[in-house]
Amino acid sequence: MKVPFKWLNEYVTLPWDAEETARRFTMAGLKVEDLYYDRLDISGVVTARILKVTPHPGRNDLKVGVLDAGGPKYCVVSGAPGFSEGNVTVLAVPGARLPGNVVIGTRDIAGTRSEGMVLSSNELLTGGSPRPREDIILLPSDTPLGKPAEDIFELDDWVIDLELTVNFSHCLSILGVAIEASALSGAPLRLPGILEKWQWASPRGSAEPEGMPKAKQKFAIELPDPDLCPRYVGKTVRGVTFRYSPVKVERRLWLSGMRPVNAVVDATNYVMLETGQPLHAFDEDRLRGRAIFARRSRPGEVIVTLDGEERSLPEGTLVIADEAGPVAIAGVMGGKETEVTEDTKNLLLESAYFSPLSVRLTSQKLKLRTEAALRFEKGVDPTAQAAVAERAAEMISALAGGEPYPGRAETNVLSPCPKVIRLRSKSVERTLGVAVSREECETILSGLRFGVEKSPDKTGSSEDSWCIVVPPRRVDISEEIDLVEEIARYYGYERFPERHLSKAIPGGPPGKDFVRVERLRDFLVSLGGLEAISNSLISPSDLAKLGWDEKDPRGNPVRLTNPLSSSESCLRTSLLPGLLKAVIANQRAKVPGALLWEIGNVFFRSSEELPLEVRELGIVSFGLQRPKTWLEDESLSSFFQMKGLVTAILELAGIEDVTFLPKASMPFHPGKSARIVAKGSTVGEVGELHPACESALEIIPPVSMAWLSLDALLGLSQEKKFTPISRFMPVERDLAVVVPEEVPAGEVLGAIKQTGKDLVSVTLFDIWRKPPVPEGFKSLAVRIVYQAFDRTLTEEEIAVDRQNIVRELERRFGAKQRV
Amino acid sequence: MDDRIRAVKEKALEQIERAQSLGELEAVRVRYLGRKGEIPLLLKTIGTLPPEERPSFGAEVNSLRERVEQALERKRQELERQVIEARVTEEKVDTSLPGQYFEPGALHPLTRALRDIIGIFYGMGFTVYESRETETDEMNFVKLNIAPGHPARDMQETFYLTESTLLRTHTSPGQVRGMLSMAGELPVRFVVPGRVYRRDPTDASHHPVFHQVEGLAVDTDVSFCDLRGVVMSFAKRFFGEETRIRLRPSYFPFTEPSCEVDVSCVLCKGKGCSVCGNSGWLEVAGAGMVHPNVIRNGGYDPERVTGFAFGFGLDRLAMLKYGIDDIRLFYSNDKRFLSQFRGF
Repeated sequence: MKVPFKWLNEYVTLPWDAEETARRFTMAGLKVEDLYYDRLDISGVVTARILKVTPHPGRNDLKVGVLDAGGPKYCVVSGAPGFSEGNVTVLAVPGARLPGNVVIGTRDIAGTRSEGMVLSSNELLTGGSPRPREDIILLPSDTPLGKPAEDIFELDDWVIDLELTVNFSHCLSILGVAIEASALSGAPLRLPGILEKWQWASPRGSAEPEGMPKAKQKFAIELPDPDLCPRYVGKTVRGVTFRYSPVKVERRLWLSGMRPVNAVVDATNYVMLETGQPLHAFDEDRLRGRAIFARRSRPGEVIVTLDGEERSLPEGTLVIADEAGPVAIAGVMGGKETEVTEDTKNLLLESAYFSPLSVRLTSQKLKLRTEAALRFEKGVDPTAQAAVAERAAEMISALAGGEPYPGRAETNVLSPCPKVIRLRSKSVERTLGVAVSREECETILSGLRFGVEKSPDKTGSSEDSWCIVVPPRRVDISEEIDLVEEIARYYGYERFPERHLSKAIPGGPPGKDFVRVERLRDFLVSLGGLEAISNSLISPSDLAKLGWDEKDPRGNPVRLTNPLSSSESCLRTSLLPGLLKAVIANQRAKVPGALLWEIGNVFFRSSEELPLEVRELGIVSFGLQRPKTWLEDESLSSFFQMKGLVTAILELAGIEDVTFLPKASMPFHPGKSARIVAKGSTVGEVGELHPACESALEIIPPVSMAWLSLDALLGLSQEKKFTPISRFMPVERDLAVVVPEEVPAGEVLGAIKQTGKDLVSVTLFDIWRKPPVPEGFKSLAVRIVYQAFDRTLTEEEIAVDRQNIVRELERRFGAKQRV
Repeated sequence: MDDRIRAVKEKALEQIERAQSLGELEAVRVRYLGRKGEIPLLLKTIGTLPPEERPSFGAEVNSLRERVEQALERKRQELERQVIEARVTEEKVDTSLPGQYFEPGALHPLTRALRDIIGIFYGMGFTVYESRETETDEMNFVKLNIAPGHPARDMQETFYLTESTLLRTHTSPGQVRGMLSMAGELPVRFVVPGRVYRRDPTDASHHPVFHQVEGLAVDTDVSFCDLRGVVMSFAKRFFGEETRIRLRPSYFPFTEPSCEVDVSCVLCKGKGCSVCGNSGWLEVAGAGMVHPNVIRNGGYDPERVTGFAFGFGLDRLAMLKYGIDDIRLFYSNDKRFLSQFRGF
């Protein structure tokens, strides 16, 4: 909403300049998006009287005149009808500049020298050409001559551009803003023209003054769909003539972001900007029949709108129709057939109340966002239609001549029902935390034109309260808290003291899991992992590339009904697609390797209303994990790197008895992956990327990855408990056994741990497959650390334990101790 | 003094003095003081002496032993010193060679910023409540005072899953879910961090997935002054003491009175630049007193309790804090970006 500052000051004389006003508006909730000084870029344009006019020697459509610009005389050629002796007009002298960098010089026009140019309003304001039938500007004959146009017209102004929140629809008008400005500054509000008499914007709404003339109307107003249009006013103006608006009106429309059209249309737009009530002018003589309907459209109805577009109306669209068919899309745009033209003599002005939702849907469906629709869809003052119609008739009469016809064609099914809200001073204090004085509350609310009445206090309670009458234009106010907000805004947010919640810290919902996940993040960082955050919206093809089909829960994602693109059309079912995309992006950037991880939700279809959300940890590593240096060899991403990482995480989570069963599902390499099972359930998978996925994703191996169900981890893991530290020395013993190749090393290690007593750790430090170990066998060398809690272990005890281990390994795997 | 004793003494002291290494010295020690060394042997000859000479002989041998021990100890210290000196002069590395390679990990900048934020709110008694990302229309809108057809639905472009379910457009449904989980207990005080979704085309400042941190405090005596205090304290601590902060009236359907939290632009320090649209101010959060209807939807009586709520855009806060100019970087998972946030 653009507010020209001089226009605003016409209704309220502000004690501040535009900048200070803008600051105060912002701090009262009318956010100023932009504030700029708009000065029409002209020079050398002055007032001048046409002293003498003679016919042009060469062309009879032109005249030659001598103009007096307050001393200097100019000889000018013009063909304008108003170019006659005695008239005062506006002259661009040679060297003058007009908007759009148009420079006026001395020109030869059909053989006669013209020293400059007399201007039409359009030439002055836009630098363009005169519009059809547009005359030069004519000023009162007592206008001082030689005055710069800037001094005669309002050509410069500050514009306050407001970015209004949806609750500020009452400020979609200069007067609406003026009311706020008046409440802010204490300066009185001046209502223009007939609005004062109609008590426009008063607490109980506009009302017809006593003794207004009445007359029989040409049209009857029929409202067969009162849910969409409960109030319609038609006001007739007779005998208008085609004109353009004065410079001031055109200039204000330009500043407000609207294009001047002609005096009649401009007057309706001007009054809409002034009051917030959209208006439409029909050429009354082109309306067919004797009734105007505001009704739902019928199947197949079509209308050509003002912009020349033929539009088929979705069935049920609210239209204005005469007896022959639709003449306007209600609240959105008028029809071409009945528009005001150069020949229009009589007008029917429409001022109506339309259902906000209906206008919004229509405007959305037709993709037509007009200034009128913008206001209707937010809700206009439902009592102001007649008052504003009268104001518009008054304005048209002033700009385009003609006489308002007495009375109005009008139907209203809205019952006048003033909104009264009980406001308790206790509520103000409780919500705001300060006791705003009674006087201040009353000043604020009455300044905003609420009706402030003492509460009749029927309940007999001693509560301090008011009955507040809400002006009908304030569609945003419906309950007590809305009034508390008004008080807070005008009291000033800056005036509230800062306090910090008096009560002790609450127990609240436990943040325990949150803290544990944070520790997990720290651990992953300590391992050199970079935390990733990926888009949770993915493409179904991302899943297909990982080998998941519709039968797999991970291949059957939750889909969006209105995605922006197919690449972001469903919810991720795994963190791996996002992490693998990260690998691809990094590889494209020639990053030689990385370890990336992410903690986040994945989503599965569910029989419940909402999808299942599961928190997972995903890890991926690719390429070089450690470069070769002069000191150490390089290391690459591998199954065992990832398994080591996962083992550490599970150990830190305090999960015991984890088994890695061979062969995870897609997208893992079947020979280099494992399913991670704890307490009988799968908690994750680890392994290298399946070669098929490598080629589908165009990814460069090696790539290893893992996922773990975080909820399972947190559920299975145990609270940390201290274990006393043994005072006795540990003893190390090495043991090498030869087992058949197919025996999994993990089972051998597991058997040692199960069989041995007082073992602290069992570490596999070598695997040997060459002679003297026979073909088809391997030698596993382990270092066993013994330590008892209560005594130093004797050599005999250790020897016995070792014997037991060897015997057990022999029994289970046919192992032979290697000596 | 017995000649034998003198001879042993001279020999021993001379050999000690001549010893070149700790090994040689040890050999000398064994030769004279060992179980079969010359000094114990001398002592054994005491029986061959006339009784009257024995005490003085014994005393002399003992003093010899002491003397030799002292000499050995002195020599040992001297040799050790030599050994250390030799090591420190001989052993030497090229200290300019690179050390062992170690590649540290990093938290995502959004996590870093979130930790700072949560840390500040922990200090003011807020815990963490985590709420779901897929939501019902009811929870995301209706319970927050945004009925169907409400113009506020236009402000938030929504991704729908079905007619009645969607991806949450803000963390605000966490207010209602969090309150319901408290089952009427007071005071309520938590923050809700998490992902939110808006159907906005991606550009430098928009991403369909981004993050918010919601906060809620409800009690019998929570007022706008508490909102002002808590939000101002947060902004001061997050952006720095020199930051100017203002609460500007605004509108949200689920809070009333509502405000935007503006901080003086961290880039131009309030002078006006392209980041702040020349206003000198940056919008960083929305806040307000919880609307009575929302309090009611959370299972509390708005006549008995009041509350305030706020919501920060985590991405925006992190962008300002770290000077990041493109929101898409957060979701790029580019190592060259992520690794910049290593360290403490």
